[in-house]
Amino acid sequence: MTPPEKNPGWAGNVGEYQLTEVEIRGEEFVGKRPLSGGHPSASATYPYLLETKDAGATLFEGDYLIRFEKIVTRYPEKRAALLPTLSLAQEIRGYVSPETMDEVATLLDLSSAYVRGVATFYTMYNKQPVGKYLIQVCTNISCNLCGAEDVLRTFLGEIETDLGEISLDGNFSVIEAECLAGCGFPTCVQINSKYFENVGVLDVPEILNRLRKNLSDDSGGKGVEE
Amino acid sequence: MGYPYNHRSEVSIISRHFGDPDARTLKGWIEKGGYEGLRKALSMSPGEVIEIVKNSGLRGRGGAGFPTGLKWSFMPKNSGKIHYLLCNADESEPGTFKDRELLRWTPHQLIEGCAIGAYAIGAEQIYIYCRGEFFEANQVLGKAVEDAYESGFLGRNVLGSKTTIELTVHTGAGAYICGEETGLMNSLEGRRGEPRIKPPFPAAAGLFGLPTTINNVETLSAVPHIVMYGSDWYRKWGTEKSPGTKLFCVSGHIERPGNYELPLGFPLKDLIEDVCGGVKDGKSLKAVIPGGSSVPILTAEQVETCLLSYEGVEEAGSMLGCASVIVMDESTDIVHQVMRMASFYAHESCGLCTPCREGTAWVTTILKKMENGQGSEEDLDTLMELTDQMTGTTICVLSDSVAAPVQSSIRYFREDYLNLLKVGSGNG
Repeated sequence: MTPPEKNPGWAGNVGEYQLTEVEIRGEEFVGKRPLSGGHPSASATYPYLLETKDAGATLFEGDYLIRFEKIVTRYPEKRAALLPTLSLAQEIRGYVSPETMDEVATLLDLSSAYVRGVATFYTMYNKQPVGKYLIQVCTNISCNLCGAEDVLRTFLGEIETDLGEISLDGNFSVIEAECLAGCGFPTCVQINSKYFENVGVLDVPEILNRLRKNLSDDSGGKGVEE
Repeated sequence: MGYPYNHRSEVSIISRHFGDPDARTLKGWIEKGGYEGLRKALSMSPGEVIEIVKNSGLRGRGGAGFPTGLKWSFMPKNSGKIHYLLCNADESEPGTFKDRELLRWTPHQLIEGCAIGAYAIGAEQIYIYCRGEFFEANQVLGKAVEDAYESGFLGRNVLGSKTTIELTVHTGAGAYICGEETGLMNSLEGRRGEPRIKPPFPAAAGLFGLPTTINNVETLSAVPHIVMYGSDWYRKWGTEKSPGTKLFCVSGHIERPGNYELPLGFPLKDLIEDVCGGVKDGKSLKAVIPGGSSVPILTAEQVETCLLSYEGVEEAGSMLGCASVIVMDESTDIVHQVMRMASFYAHESCGLCTPCREGTAWVTTILKKMENGQGSEEDLDTLMELTDQMTGTTICVLSDSVAAPVQSSIRYFREDYLNLLKVGSGNG
């Protein structure tokens, strides 16, 4: 589907630039590169958070196997590919379970205990399943000064869910994020792979409607969210 | 030009093509004079490149402000070992949002800077460690790297020379501590991102135990211009000790938030009132954090005379850090904001050093207690003592970073804390 020109609260519509959402997000290639990873130098730049998650998917096969193999070639030792590999596993399965960690350990000739130690250090690996859309609301200082806590409460209220839980319909998980480096565009919200900027309380229903519409439009879910 | 607002006081060097989608593409970038700096660098000796950067006085833009050319010159010569250049793109200091703009608007500028840096220090392999949350920016960068390989700006025999420059984009997975240079190296090696004890310094034993130089995105983005136009040209702006321009990220209660590229030494008051259009909704200023959440808070009075250079902000009682200016108006609940910063550090402490692991958690607990009206004046003494013990006692400076806002806020905004106590006792 074609994304609407105006992203709720979108940064391109403020300031002195008249830019469309596509121009700002760089959508001429974001989400359009092959899943197999293009040139190996940039194979680790992908990992999307997809709507569709398959917790039982094989690690790795098809295009994902090609991408995994490309990533491994870029380091003098296999262990260094651990973070990108866990991200790749999460892209497919939606979260990193202890079993996933074990499988990744085998792929990279590491011990299970070692991989668990590393995986649990990093917050971006979801240790539990999440909804189709993972909504991360920054509440750190710059956003906080501009009302981020109200935005977070509004997301929770509109979705009728609790922090960190999956909503009953399975569509949303809302969590509090640490600074997303979008401080000039408060409140900054990351939804799956995308940033939503300048999000105010009044923008929340519109954003959620847009996401629900994406789901009912049946995007297929591979590659991009829209 | 600043993004999303411009101002006539700006000097647009690295930010010149912000907001121009055309600059993201290789074709567009070359049309704008891109990769000429790399071509020029390759025609010089590595030592000459280092000399230009040294003379320009460029200082590290990631927060510490260490002279870049000097850092490069620490790399061993003819060691026979593999050298690495690391680019720190793990931007996560609260209040900082310049590197994401550099990644998403001008990825080729960064690639060019990286390639020049790698040539200067004799590194055949560059890793750009990107923050994991930057899905969109990372893809823009990834595409740019692919295109640069295809057109011979990276890879073997760069631009027909005998130089090989390999570049790999690596993505993190959400840990503030990986922005610390040795934590980043551990993370890139596939370990927990715990900082390493120095020495050995990275130039002796860094990534994979080999000589490594690590620079911030903004630092490397300035390099092509310095090589192209020379060190005297770069020194036209800024001060003797802080030459050149810097991106200032302004956020919080401000009319026109965003990134502005200004000469170092620019008055903080003018930045807020003139460039950014003043405090939001015409309110009066209460406090400013001039360099990201890890530096001491300045009062409105201190802001009056503060100059935004490395030495100027230090004179005013804080640090320039990564020039992330967080503006707070009269209505700001300072204690709440300090508590929010402390809880951030408690969340992000890697847990390796006891003063930090325990200290960040206790500072947060005490501040929460005070916010709930259950504190006492004694708690303020406890906080001061606790944060004293968290300063200079750990491997990295994350622990010190909590002390800065806590101690400065107690020093300058003691009333705010005491008012909470009154409310607390009033409620019984």
